[in-house]
Amino acid sequence: MRGAYLSYAAKRFAQAVVVILLAYVFTFVVVSILPGDPITNVLRDPQNGFSEDQIRQIIAAQGLDRPIPVQLWTSLSNFVTGDLGLSMRSSRPVTTLIAEVLPSTLTLASAAFAIALLLALTIGYGTQFLPKRFGQGLLRGFPSLFLSVPNFVIGLALIHIFGFQLGLFRVIAPDSFWATFFAAIALGVPISARITEVLIANLDKESEQEYAAVARSRGLGPARLFARHLLKPSSLPVVTVIALAIGELLGGSLITETVFGRTGIGSLVQRSVSTQDLPVLQAVVSLAAVVFVLVNLIADLVYPLLDPRVKLIGGQGVRPTTADDSATATSAAVTS
Amino acid sequence: MAAQDRLTVNTFTRAELTAPVPLRPLPLLRVDGLSVSYGPHEVVTNVGFELGRGDSLALIGESGSGKSTIARAVLRLLPSGGRATGRVAFDGQEVLGISERGFRPLRGRAIGFVPQDPANSLNPVRTIGAQAQEAAALLDEPDSAIRKQLILDTFAEVGLDNPQRVYGSYPHQLSGGMLQRVLIGLAILPRPALLVADEPTSALDVTIQKRILDLLTRLQHDLKISLLLITHDLAIAAERANALVVLKDGVIQEAGRTTSVFSSPASSYARKLRADVPALNPDRYAPLRDVRFHTLKTGDASTPKIDVNAVTKTFTVDGKTLTAASDLSFTVPAGTTHALVGESGSGKTTAVRLLLGLEQPDSGTISVGGEQVTGRSPEALRSAWRHLQLVYQNPFTSLDPTWTVEQLVREPLDRFKVGAREERDERVREASADVGLGEHLLSRKPGALSGGQRQRVAIARSLVLKPDVIVLDEPTSALDVSVQAGIIEVLLTLQANLGLTYVFVSHDLALVRQLAHTVSVMHRGRIVEHGTVAEIFDNPQQPYTRSLLESIPSGGAGVAQPAHARPRVTAG
Repeated sequence: MRGAYLSYAAKRFAQAVVVILLAYVFTFVVVSILPGDPITNVLRDPQNGFSEDQIRQIIAAQGLDRPIPVQLWTSLSNFVTGDLGLSMRSSRPVTTLIAEVLPSTLTLASAAFAIALLLALTIGYGTQFLPKRFGQGLLRGFPSLFLSVPNFVIGLALIHIFGFQLGLFRVIAPDSFWATFFAAIALGVPISARITEVLIANLDKESEQEYAAVARSRGLGPARLFARHLLKPSSLPVVTVIALAIGELLGGSLITETVFGRTGIGSLVQRSVSTQDLPVLQAVVSLAAVVFVLVNLIADLVYPLLDPRVKLIGGQGVRPTTADDSATATSAAVTS
Repeated sequence: MAAQDRLTVNTFTRAELTAPVPLRPLPLLRVDGLSVSYGPHEVVTNVGFELGRGDSLALIGESGSGKSTIARAVLRLLPSGGRATGRVAFDGQEVLGISERGFRPLRGRAIGFVPQDPANSLNPVRTIGAQAQEAAALLDEPDSAIRKQLILDTFAEVGLDNPQRVYGSYPHQLSGGMLQRVLIGLAILPRPALLVADEPTSALDVTIQKRILDLLTRLQHDLKISLLLITHDLAIAAERANALVVLKDGVIQEAGRTTSVFSSPASSYARKLRADVPALNPDRYAPLRDVRFHTLKTGDASTPKIDVNAVTKTFTVDGKTLTAASDLSFTVPAGTTHALVGESGSGKTTAVRLLLGLEQPDSGTISVGGEQVTGRSPEALRSAWRHLQLVYQNPFTSLDPTWTVEQLVREPLDRFKVGAREERDERVREASADVGLGEHLLSRKPGALSGGQRQRVAIARSLVLKPDVIVLDEPTSALDVSVQAGIIEVLLTLQANLGLTYVFVSHDLALVRQLAHTVSVMHRGRIVEHGTVAEIFDNPQQPYTRSLLESIPSGGAGVAQPAHARPRVTAG
């Protein structure tokens, strides 16, 4: 079993690397076939005052006059070695620019993710064990409520109440603990909605299962029943949703950073889009692809660990079909 | 209202009379005036019984009789929406009205639970050991090494061969019989005073059923545990319990000591229940079964309807070769029933799939009605399927829930483009009437039908093409005994009227004895013994056949034994 898992993991990892490289190639091709030439636009900007000769020299030095496939190959091999080129606006290495803003975004995103998980688990537990008269039904409405409020509205409300009214944090110091905390809430609440929705549905399904009743007959209280029995089988589909939610986290951080005035990947993207700074944009898109692929890789690797019934066949995790399925197929075959 | 008042007065007087001088010890479990309802719908009405210390009591009834609901009410495991009223006293303490927190200390420690379906009663994503630790935690043993040893000892006690391996396994890695042993082990580990077993063997094979019931009886005696057994099988109840409570629609029909209720039932319902148990009435259908058999025997027995000749089929699973059918040979004369008997994994299902042409054998030939089934493409088999139909065992999953009964019965006619519209209508009505489905049911969907009605739909569906041969794959294993009796009667009447040939696949030997003419006993892909019903049942040659026969619950020593268990007197 261990050998099977390791070869499964190796295959998944290799697939992930291929996907990342393809994503890079794809963004490169899309950028190069886009109408308009931002590079010459920048160079021809009268403010820069380059002569036609100088422009030709620069283009030749950067290898921009060579055929697209050759440019792609150079760019791809630079990407693999971690060299993302220079920003067109500031002439600084793109890696440095990203390294400056990444910690802030990572802090915000992971705090938001932690809050989202905590919210999902709390609400999930409440829907199963909170007595009816204490608002179990109200809890079930939370996910749709969370989904229907855009996160910038939550952000503005939090700033108004906790920043201005209660003075818990200063809006001009966006990297302080409390400012980060409330920004993470604004970002985490909509994310938690999707996770909670799936978690509640699966908790409902699992708590109806016979094994849950049998576990209760062994004297397990609600907390232990939840943690030991219901959570693990319920979390299988949740893992998939979490992997998708990470993507939302990236998108959402852009808006949240703007609302809270934070410097992060979001503000970097915003700046680069408005100035058509292609190397930075290409790097950020590739970074997003890497994060997305990695998160899904982790989800794939976790899945067989959560469910021992998953069989690892040819690099694919497959749930074995039940006897009933094949029997139904038998009766279907006879009538047709 | 007045009647209720009088009842209260009565109870009160009786209580007053017995209070000063306790004539007998306090019962361990006393259920009094228990009613359970879901919303406005009452499923259990005013049920009362007593279970003494170390004693055993069985609740019997069909599905829907409320027997499992009573068990769940006693265990306080009713699904949400279920409301129980009345009194349930455990060891003198009222437990129905107290809080969940107050009841929890009794769970496991004092009241153990053995559930019905072992495959779904353990958490699929946790090891057996992790779940066993929860039961061991009830023992107040601080040393984890000792706790684990106690678990392993209990696994050995319930007859699990390799406790260490079981401890580290996940539920899907063990068989149903092993899982039920695990569940019984977990229930008895904290040494409860009361064990509630809800149909503990209905999902298991006969030989395993007997071993599990023997285990429960032995543990009950060794550990002085009181047993509340819930079952639909009167023979099992009579064999395993000292007292019986017979239920129908949530109301007690009859109650008393097993000896009196079982051998001379007073209520008509208990009498009917007894008559429907195949093991107790081996010759119930003999006249109906043999209507045509006598005339056929003298007829053309030389050309069998089904001829299976030296068929072998192997599968390769995970690089290992598995012989699912090895050198199978049998013939079935037209108009008779041939039974394929065996436990799970004996190769019955493979035999059925080969017979229907859904699998091709590695070697050997099969012909049905003179038509070769082996070595033909699925397209070429379509004509054979018109004369060869299947009734599948589980009527709850084999019918499309979005279709009406009429559509379901009609589908084969549409598929084979039989006759004009009027003729199809006529045939649907005819087939439905033949299986006892009233006209008013034709517009319903499977969800609005009972299990027995659904199986009738499945039979009508196969009947509508007027086939000669019907393969019945455990057609009643998902149904209650009394519903089963109705289905068997339908099948035998159809055979008598239409001269159908049946291949009847079953693990239930008592049932086979009631309706089959010839029998093949299958074990590990081989036919170990075959012959007429009389030969197999009265004079089994193989030890495996004998062990199957001995596993048939017969209702215990106090009752007339079926023929096979009687000492045989052979003349000459």
